[in-house]
Amino acid sequence: MPDLPPLARAAHAAHCLRCLQALPDSQIEVDASRMALAFYCIGTLDLLCLLQEKTRETDREAWREWIWEQQTSGRYGSGFRPSPFMTPALRAPEDPYTDYDTPHIIMTYTALLTLAILRDDFSRLDRPGLLDFIRACQRDDGSFCTVPGSNETDLRSLYCAFAISHMLDDWSAVNTSRAIAFIASCRSYEGGYGQAPFCEAQGGTTYIAIASLHLVPHVQAPLLTAAERELTIQWLVRNQHPAGGFSGRTGKDADACYCFWCGAALQILGAGDLVDARALAMFLANCQFKYGGLAKAPGEHPDPYHTYLSLAALSMYMPASALASDQRHAASWTFEPLDPLLNARVETARWARKYIPAPPRG
Amino acid sequence: MPSPASSSDTSSALYAERPEWKDVTPLPQYEDANPIAPIFYSEEYKDATDYFRGIVKTGEKSERVLELTESIIRLNPAHYSAWQYRYETLLAIKAPLDVELKLMDELAVSFLKTYQVWHHRRLLLMLTGNPGPELKFITESLKVDAKNYHTWSYRQWLLAFFNDDDLWAGELDFVDAMLVQDVRNNSAWHHRFFVVFQSGVREGETERGRIVRRELTYVKQNISLVPNNPSAWNYLRGILDFNNLPYSRVEDFVRPYAGTTTDGSTTDLVDLENPPPSTNAQLPCSAAIEFLADIHEKEGGKDRVLQAIALWRSLADEHDTIRKKYWEYRIREALKSVKE
Repeated sequence: MPDLPPLARAAHAAHCLRCLQALPDSQIEVDASRMALAFYCIGTLDLLCLLQEKTRETDREAWREWIWEQQTSGRYGSGFRPSPFMTPALRAPEDPYTDYDTPHIIMTYTALLTLAILRDDFSRLDRPGLLDFIRACQRDDGSFCTVPGSNETDLRSLYCAFAISHMLDDWSAVNTSRAIAFIASCRSYEGGYGQAPFCEAQGGTTYIAIASLHLVPHVQAPLLTAAERELTIQWLVRNQHPAGGFSGRTGKDADACYCFWCGAALQILGAGDLVDARALAMFLANCQFKYGGLAKAPGEHPDPYHTYLSLAALSMYMPASALASDQRHAASWTFEPLDPLLNARVETARWARKYIPAPPRG
Repeated sequence: MPSPASSSDTSSALYAERPEWKDVTPLPQYEDANPIAPIFYSEEYKDATDYFRGIVKTGEKSERVLELTESIIRLNPAHYSAWQYRYETLLAIKAPLDVELKLMDELAVSFLKTYQVWHHRRLLLMLTGNPGPELKFITESLKVDAKNYHTWSYRQWLLAFFNDDDLWAGELDFVDAMLVQDVRNNSAWHHRFFVVFQSGVREGETERGRIVRRELTYVKQNISLVPNNPSAWNYLRGILDFNNLPYSRVEDFVRPYAGTTTDGSTTDLVDLENPPPSTNAQLPCSAAIEFLADIHEKEGGKDRVLQAIALWRSLADEHDTIRKKYWEYRIREALKSVKE
């Protein structure tokens, strides 16, 4: 097998730093999800352990301020909006939000993780408001909507509600048995999970389902039978292509992001050692864009989403451990461990779990 | 009657320059000094969203709001607040929903991969309660992208939500046509499973034994035509798992696909139960080796398990080396059971 080329760490950091500075008009669709983009960019720097080196304390302080500015409260509780894309200039910060500028549950999850990466102390977090917000997002069928009252509901928002409850160490806002029943209704005969009941098995939503099931505390019965677990592992493992990358669905092409989604689901199921890490790294090596960033597949254009998820995959499947230490580029492929349940560097996840819960009274 | 959809002739002018919008106070976006990843908005987008914030502030719901939200959606189909406000406006002014659906036919194709387009459509259908014409629309839009996740999800939602016999009536023919076009389309196989097994038992389908036989024949025929098709093998597993049938039921069918050569002597006999691989098929088929190993393992007993191990060995070393570690794991687990 050919040698791995170097992983262009500095160039990938530079790609994300450029996006943090400004985006061209062609990226207009990010307007309503800018918080997630911030997470992928700042998260990339965290995974590369380049945050301190490549940014100044004043930058990090300014980013924290911007994120806190997106925390907003009103009739459905508190959480984070994606950006001020619906906020008028003259609105006073203490005014309640309108129904068209509410917090968004996916943005709230990414905001909390980004603040943890930036080592915020979370003294400004409105915890009771956040619980109200999660409560307002759960629907009768156990699923969660992205913004209160919206029809847009699928497994992604459910995972975010679970991850937030986990970080808060407070599950009082979630009806877990209904939510678990909803997850089960998304399971497909192939062994993966679809984004809603009756949908085709897909790598991203399978990660979401498996991670959510493992985030729930104090569950008596096993959430998956032994046979279900084996079938899911089998399906996930089959998604690794001979060229090393993972596909998101049976018969589709490999895509860098599924190296994370399928790879992380396997880690959570305790089956990470079944992945061919060397081939996975070779695929991602070929997804590198020559001016920085990683793309979904070789020859495509890079973006922070695929860059972050590729590096998160490498943090779990380090080829360095499979490489001889004298191999030339081994150091560039070395990462700190990742927490697959929260999708953050272990140290960042530890920070989140320490500072996001309500401080003890008294 | 002028249609709000046919406003492209006026949309070239900025709202700020149009006299009929003079009564609206545009509200610029809040932005502090140090935004993360600010977007260089086009003049058009900035203009339309400034007016939109102004409209939201006054709560106006009128015909012209449909034009404004359409402008925003065309520039940024992921602007979920514009979609939400548009939907409420449609309700408030009792706008003709057939006109809206016609516009959505166009936008769905332009923005096939945007969640919001499909969610808006669901909301409209819940209002019209008329799912009939939708199936044809979906079939058309699958011509643009035959594996689009949103399109398939929408079809599954539509069928399950309305659960109308007339809607279900043509589904098997539809899936069959999709699979004739591309037998490797996993979305179509999944949809078949949804229609036949997952969505309940409809009239005319109550003899489950016959249905299972029909599906087994269908998938076997398709494997026989294109053996290296993981979607079809997964469907075969799905039928057996869902109906609690032993994998050994299809052992005679699977065996020739796991071998290296086709046995020419039997090709004269047409065995409908067990259609053989064609003489030019690429064999062995790794999915068949895996399936045969699973049959051996499930049947149990030392001989069977050792046969399974030999098959996994061949996958690990030769036919499916990317999953070497997985096959070795299966071997380890099986050896444990033999020793016990």
